[in-house]
Amino acid sequence: METVSTYQELLDVQKLSEMKQELGDGFTTVVRHYQAGVLHRPERIRQAIRDQDAERVAMESHSLKSVCRQVGLARMGDMAAELESLGTAGNFEQAESLVERLIAASVTANQELTCHCAGIDLPRPFFEKGGRVSSP
Amino acid sequence: MARILIIDDDEPFRVHLGMLLRKAGHVVLEVECALHALDKIALDPFDLLMTDIFMPKMDGFELLTTLLRRHPNIRVIAMSGGGSGMTPALALNVARKLGAAEWISKPFQPGEVLRMVDRALQSTPT
Repeated sequence: METVSTYQELLDVQKLSEMKQELGDGFTTVVRHYQAGVLHRPERIRQAIRDQDAERVAMESHSLKSVCRQVGLARMGDMAAELESLGTAGNFEQAESLVERLIAASVTANQELTCHCAGIDLPRPFFEKGGRVSSP
Repeated sequence: MARILIIDDDEPFRVHLGMLLRKAGHVVLEVECALHALDKIALDPFDLLMTDIFMPKMDGFELLTTLLRRHPNIRVIAMSGGGSGMTPALALNVARKLGAAEWISKPFQPGEVLRMVDRALQSTPT
């Protein structure tokens, strides 16, 4: 059985706590805007892959990477960085499989961010190596 | 307290920066594109502009060039996470050569941003 140490946690709680301190009452509003970005961008990347538009895949992935890293979603940021490289290389086959994992991750990340903002500490799903989401 | 205009097509960054700077006591306006920024600046004076580099329609390089020609005394902080095949370091180096007072790499560190804003506001416009 896998242990927590072999997973990379989805949320960087430390980074979110720092953001909360810096932003005070504005924290939840800012996180809501990041959540919208985290949720919608992977869908746009999937559409760009379907359109075989390498430049758009790279550009959208690049934006998602920055957004994820800013809000403490490091693992998703790494996946977006990988998609950016695949887009730049025009490797749609690999990008297609990765974007599906990214979409699953974005749904989980969104739920976890909502729980975090609401102060609800739920048993959290973790990323397996390779980006697949599973329950602990 | 300063009047600051943020230009970034990425909404979460724009809102985050705006919130951070308002909390620090500044008056902040946010726009999503360089063309809107030029309209705003023509109507109201700003002490400082913070602009993303890679944006659709008009990028931050073109904005910097146009802006500093029209308003040579305005101070600008350039921000970038890279793009169009350029690393953040290269993009921000070009922005510096075009007249940006400071430059911030994305993702940004809030403390670093506030220090840069203070430094830019204290600097003498080029």
